[in-house]
Amino acid sequence: MSRQDFFVLAPYLAIAGGVVLMLLLVSFWRSVRVMVTMTVLVMLVTLGLVVANIDNPPHLVSGFLLIDGYAALFNIMFVIAAIVTALLAYGYMRGRSGEPEEFYLLLVVATLGAMTMAAAHHFAAVLLGLEILSISLYVLIGYSEEGHPPLEAALKYLVLSGVASTTMLFGMALIYNATGTLVFSELGQSEFSLPRDELYYVAGHGLLFAGIAFKLSLVPFHMWTPDVYQGAPAPVTGYLATVSKGAVFAFVLRYALITDVLEIPVVSTVLLMFAVLSMLGGNLLALMQNNVKRLLAYSSIAHIGYLLIGLLAVAVLADGLIAVEASLIYLAGYFLMTLAAFGVVSVLSSASEEVDAEHIDAFVGLFWRKPLCAVIMTTALLSLTGIPLTVGFVAKFYMLATGAEGGMWLLLWTLVIGSAIAVYYYMRVIFTMVRPGGDAGYAHSSPRVEGMAVLVVIGISLIGFGVYPSPLIDFVRSLIGITGG
Amino acid sequence: MEVVLFYIAASIALITSILVITRTTASHALIYLIVSLLAIAVIFYLLGAPFAAALEVVIYAGAIMVLFLFVVMMLNLGPSQVAQERRWLEPRMWVGPSILTLILFFEMVYILAGTPALTSGVAVSAKEVGERLFTTYLLGVELAGFLLLAALVGSYHLGRRYMRARREEIG
Repeated sequence: MSRQDFFVLAPYLAIAGGVVLMLLLVSFWRSVRVMVTMTVLVMLVTLGLVVANIDNPPHLVSGFLLIDGYAALFNIMFVIAAIVTALLAYGYMRGRSGEPEEFYLLLVVATLGAMTMAAAHHFAAVLLGLEILSISLYVLIGYSEEGHPPLEAALKYLVLSGVASTTMLFGMALIYNATGTLVFSELGQSEFSLPRDELYYVAGHGLLFAGIAFKLSLVPFHMWTPDVYQGAPAPVTGYLATVSKGAVFAFVLRYALITDVLEIPVVSTVLLMFAVLSMLGGNLLALMQNNVKRLLAYSSIAHIGYLLIGLLAVAVLADGLIAVEASLIYLAGYFLMTLAAFGVVSVLSSASEEVDAEHIDAFVGLFWRKPLCAVIMTTALLSLTGIPLTVGFVAKFYMLATGAEGGMWLLLWTLVIGSAIAVYYYMRVIFTMVRPGGDAGYAHSSPRVEGMAVLVVIGISLIGFGVYPSPLIDFVRSLIGITGG
Repeated sequence: MEVVLFYIAASIALITSILVITRTTASHALIYLIVSLLAIAVIFYLLGAPFAAALEVVIYAGAIMVLFLFVVMMLNLGPSQVAQERRWLEPRMWVGPSILTLILFFEMVYILAGTPALTSGVAVSAKEVGERLFTTYLLGVELAGFLLLAALVGSYHLGRRYMRARREEIG
């Protein structure tokens, strides 16, 4: 490793060093407050180093990690999501029995895994990053020591996610068998330089994408999503919906950009099917949900379906970077609105109840009882719907424009129909919050300062980037290397 | 010939893996799992990866499985359990695994006696593996460390719940 390698790896070294420091700290001095502070500090240092390295040219570290603007953008999103989760979890874990210190340690390790996936340029890095993320998530999902819903969710996720990882690993092995390399850039050239066994190559990608579809919870592979989202503690659900999916998407998008995987007819057809089914299935299944966490789970399935339009556009458009720009702006918006929605659920959840404030009845009259929470929830839901003046609108508009440019009409019509269906169930939650009454046995916790502060910041950015999106757009464009207007 | 050796080892691996998931007692299943791992080690050797084969035996079949077996045995205490365990481990039980292990053993002797019969034609020495691990895959090794750390901290946390419940039961 050269000095340059260490230089560009600084964010990774910072977060890894932070993990070791926190591990030592928790062995000698158990204090939740210290652990939360340490988490936020480590994350801020990492964020600072990512931003400081932004202007460096792309650098490949021993063929393993490609540190470039693309990875930096994902890393910024992951780190911000981790800070939000840590602050929300502080309030959430209070009053719940058990030792909450390891929660933050695992949160930081999980973020390291996600950051590895964002920069992965080698299948081994993908697998290691994915497993670091998944193993931390199994425990985070089942973290609470009381009640069995979290444990049930953790067990479901453990078994199904383990099978999906194995499927992906077997797919990677078959791809290696067909091409003789695990490095993405070599896979991109392999059709010219290496003899390629078509059968193994296609079968390998079939298995790989089956595993990916599970991790992204695309429709034929979505069964686990509502149960796990419902059972997990609310802050973890927000993290699961954003970082875990974002990391897998980061890998798929980079893989599609570097190699010609989308030119395999089977893969692109299957992805098209996944996208259509997810957009329709996610929205239709959410219609009759009375549980807000499950509703948001189904809505996240639909949103990943929208996101796939950007992935598929990479192969269709002449300039793939435009599709990448649309996907990244969509993902950034999705991160903000999903974190806000699950954040409100987690600040409302009381430690005295076995389940979170997740039933729709818990939201009756929220506007009159907790106006700030209700306003943030409304903003998040409007943004998820894609109402103008929110970041959700900008994101969806970008996706529509990209799809239209590529002439992907089937996907665009599905997006329009799906969004129309979605209006109903998002509005239902908003109307429930306006309806007077409530207090029917739902002991809401009084939201804590740091949790509310972080939610207010996200709420403002949802509106802010919706009204004036050009800073976000310019930032994304500069990072992925699109110059000029 | 090496293809025949491969098929013998592979079928032993498959048969024992199926036996692992169909056994009703944990200790029987674990014994078959050890045989399955030994068969996979032979396949690694045939592929030209003696180092991976050695690790498979030392770490999986050796350390991890013996640990499993110890835990399974230690969970059942008391005279009635001892009698039950004796019943589980009667000689008849050892016939199946022993025959399969003997086949693998003869295969290994055959490979070691003759010219190394390799399906791939290239043998990767331990030195080459080590070199790769400290250069190209250095980051991978470091990341694997964090993977194990996450698993360790996680299992500590999840295990604590039952440790406490058990302590309350006893005291």
